[in-house]
Amino acid sequence: MTGAYGALFVGALLLFLILLWLRANLAQRDDLSNHQALLSHECENLEACPQEFVSRIFEAEDLKFISRFESPHLQNFFRRERNAVALLWVQETTTAIRGIMHQHLETSRRSKDLHVATEAKIFAQYAQLRFLCGILFVSIGLVGPQKLRGVALYAQELTQQLGHAQLELDSAR
Amino acid sequence: MSASVKLVPVQDAYDDLLRRTLSKIPCNLGRLIYLASTRDYNSGAYHHEGLAARFHEDAARKALEVAHRQVFHLVAAISLEDLVSELDVYLKSSHESPEEVVRTWQKLEPYRIAVPTEVNATIARLFISNLRLALAILRFRQEPNPSRP
Repeated sequence: MTGAYGALFVGALLLFLILLWLRANLAQRDDLSNHQALLSHECENLEACPQEFVSRIFEAEDLKFISRFESPHLQNFFRRERNAVALLWVQETTTAIRGIMHQHLETSRRSKDLHVATEAKIFAQYAQLRFLCGILFVSIGLVGPQKLRGVALYAQELTQQLGHAQLELDSAR
Repeated sequence: MSASVKLVPVQDAYDDLLRRTLSKIPCNLGRLIYLASTRDYNSGAYHHEGLAARFHEDAARKALEVAHRQVFHLVAAISLEDLVSELDVYLKSSHESPEEVVRTWQKLEPYRIAVPTEVNATIARLFISNLRLALAILRFRQEPNPSRP
């Protein structure tokens, strides 16, 4: 009986979080979808977003500055704008890691000497990155990018590692 | 060999552009708007009469393109507080009423054309977003409010 109540509670909590997330992201989705076409069009020659900019998007300095004006309108405007930029970065990172993995699969198909340990490591990194991007996508609307700076910088570092690993494998094969 | 021969005039043209023109503009935002204005809206090619006359047309074009990308990255990377200061300096240096410029920029968003071609989509979006916010802050400061100190 206690188990059933527990499951009900977890279910209700999940539903509440999903509804909260949907509400928070609805406005940003429109903005994001405008950039989707641009992103998919440019993704082949996309210049990667440097760490300096990722740090800028997710840091709290600008939020502190805007809070000084004590204007709810300015603060809401800032949250909407910064969430949209952060979500675009997550989308761009997801596109980049998909591209790296696609390229890796192509290279692996042609390769005659596959190393299971290396393949498993690359797949684990890819799965971890997809998970992190999913977490960021859901959490940005809920808690704001400023509380997710560490996760974002870690995801960016991991993406660079994955890209380098793929390049090394590609040149070795 | 041919690459090094080509690189030197571009560097010379770039240095000349910095020394003669860009150093006389009081802020990076002003430099960015100026450099974007040297780009043709239709072809996307950069042109500067004086620079092309002193150096080769291609060297002048490349120098303008490099300078545009560099200044854009500088402006896109600064904090919101610094961008508000940059915008303030830019508005004071333009010979128009600051209130009028802020209203026009909020309506038309002309700064969108200051984004170089083939720039990262997130950086471009961050730049546009920060300018929207900086304009909203300046508008907020311009509006009379007796309760504000």
